[in-house]
Amino acid sequence: MISAPAGKVDAGRARHRLSQTELSRGDRVLRAVSAVAAMIPPGLLVFIALVMVVAAMPSIVFNGWSFFTGSVFNFGNLYATTTITHNGVAAPPQAAYGALPLIFGTFATSLIALLLAVPISVGGALMLSEVIPRRIADPLSVFLELLAGIPSVVFGLWGVAVFGPFIAAHVYPALSSLGHIIPFLKGPVGVGQGLLTASLVLAVMIIPIIASTTLVLLRRVPILAKEGALALGMSRYETAKVVTIPYIRTGIVAASLLGWARALGETIAVLLIIGDIYRIPGNIFGNGSTIAAWIASTLDGALGDFTGMGVHALAELGLLLLAISLLTNLAGRIVVRRVAGGVLPVGRGV
Amino acid sequence: MRTGLMGGIALFGTLVVAACGGSTTTPTTSGGQPAAAPTGNPTTAVSLTESGSTLLLPYLQELVSPLTAAYSNITLAPSGGGSGKGISDAIAGNSVLGGTDAYLSPGQFAANPTLANIPIAVSAQGIWANLPGITTLKLNGDVIAKIYQGTITKWNDPALAALNSGVTLPSTTIAPLVRQGSSGDTFIFTSFLSATNSAWASGPGSGTSVTWPKVAAEGSASSNPGMVAACKAGCIAYVGVSASAAATTAGLVEAQLQNKAGTFLTPTPATMAAAVTAGAATIPPTLAVSLIYQDGAQSYPIVNFEYMVVNTKQSSSDIALAARTFFDWTIDPNGGSQTTLLSKENFIGLAASLPASVLATIKAKISSIST
Repeated sequence: MISAPAGKVDAGRARHRLSQTELSRGDRVLRAVSAVAAMIPPGLLVFIALVMVVAAMPSIVFNGWSFFTGSVFNFGNLYATTTITHNGVAAPPQAAYGALPLIFGTFATSLIALLLAVPISVGGALMLSEVIPRRIADPLSVFLELLAGIPSVVFGLWGVAVFGPFIAAHVYPALSSLGHIIPFLKGPVGVGQGLLTASLVLAVMIIPIIASTTLVLLRRVPILAKEGALALGMSRYETAKVVTIPYIRTGIVAASLLGWARALGETIAVLLIIGDIYRIPGNIFGNGSTIAAWIASTLDGALGDFTGMGVHALAELGLLLLAISLLTNLAGRIVVRRVAGGVLPVGRGV
Repeated sequence: MRTGLMGGIALFGTLVVAACGGSTTTPTTSGGQPAAAPTGNPTTAVSLTESGSTLLLPYLQELVSPLTAAYSNITLAPSGGGSGKGISDAIAGNSVLGGTDAYLSPGQFAANPTLANIPIAVSAQGIWANLPGITTLKLNGDVIAKIYQGTITKWNDPALAALNSGVTLPSTTIAPLVRQGSSGDTFIFTSFLSATNSAWASGPGSGTSVTWPKVAAEGSASSNPGMVAACKAGCIAYVGVSASAAATTAGLVEAQLQNKAGTFLTPTPATMAAAVTAGAATIPPTLAVSLIYQDGAQSYPIVNFEYMVVNTKQSSSDIALAARTFFDWTIDPNGGSQTTLLSKENFIGLAASLPASVLATIKAKISSIST
């Protein structure tokens, strides 16, 4: 996934101009080693994708399209002496592998997080690049990078032990009272685990990704355009609205896609906070689960399936998540490259 | 339900006659019974790696030093990871022993004929509620199933009042608590619900993770101590006996559960032993048996064996000897089954509750571990 620096291509062309005989032994070794090294990242991606497809194949055949629409997830009666056969593959009786509530949880948490993180990130980046003097802004922007370096398990622990209980006691009841206007706010607010708490913590986790990318883009906005706007008598706010933001609009979309890809695959923080029950929650405060959290928390149960179908079903979930994450990440990178050129901060893995 | 598939599996194991090393003891042959394979201290140091059940882990950690004190060349190296991992690690040979709350399934035995599951201790599960001021609470599986299905939502529901005459239960909403992800505790709890409520059996069923019916006031937690901590006012939770002390400290009330004979009981060493004794009557040669909802007036209804899964074909004779010695010592009331070691987790040992014939079957299974 890491894009090759532009310089590498030019260096390669330069080497081609030399004939083999002119290359020293050291050059040839370096060339061979770097060629192998260059093959490893794309090779790994293809390898992992292939392994996932192979591992998921029995489940894909067993489930068909009902995988995407099913609302029951059950490894089946593992103590049965018989198996059921569907589309030619065997699974324990009563086995059902529906992904709908998990797909819902994955998109709901990541999209709510995005909705909250984008305005904060763009506002923060604007502040750092346009308002605060550079000598103060630069150290401040280091904090953004540091925030991105906090291990996700720490976010999870903080969310479940401190943030969740606090916000459930002091903020959620007020939100819930808006329930007669906005239906999914109605009902019990719980103790701080659930969909909204997970989304809020995810928002905190993706703010550094979106904000630091936006900051890089903002600093590339030509100074002449901004000075022109100021010379026309526009305020700072109007300059940002009319010149700066429109200039990087596509870039913000791309940065958001990168942040989204990160939120989609986050596992341990979400697992700790969301309550991890297989369902579409009754309201925004309810317990649910995501694809990533469900794989992590039920693998142990799946290992008890003598037909192996339980693990295949989790592999199919993994494959689905891989596909969703790759698509959003790829889309983000394509848009960023079109707008900004060079290399941008890479989203941290899980 | 398991005997059909299991018939072909060797019951009394491979007879190992040769004594290994000077420090081993070979029990004498008695009355035509095959002689047990020797146990004792291996001549070289052996590390008995273990992975699996986190419920079993604290008990195994208790065993480490007394085991090495008894047999200087055997080191037990327990780690967690979950029951499913314990079984799959033992199958793959990643660890010698796999701790599990659930016995092996017929499918797992069929796929791995040399695998054995040997009970080493007995655990149980209590049903706890957060009802300030209430000191006695009586429940049965049918009512609990209806609570977890969302058809009984208030503590003063007529069905609950009928079970608790003389006690005024509050009108608060019942908040059922479940375990997150996959859990051996969820397996034995849902097995109990399936045994006592036909709608539950044909609906969510039993398993380490189930699709729980949606209940408005529901909650979830990720471990037995986590269940205790998350059980706030109006809550009902299923908690393994290893966390009973924590639940009492937290001010929760433990429900007396109605057993098959109609008696209301809490899990105690006596009521757990009664369930084991009743369950032993139907124990198959594989030793894989559910102790849920057993017959007997004094049998607590949610009891389970804690198992160790082991491959009876080990790669070296020293590991096989160490494994046999570990099992033999662990189920011995003067070894790992001392009350002082078991009582910290509120487990009970096998010897007190199992008839001699079943203990002999277990010893024969231990004896079958060879190369």
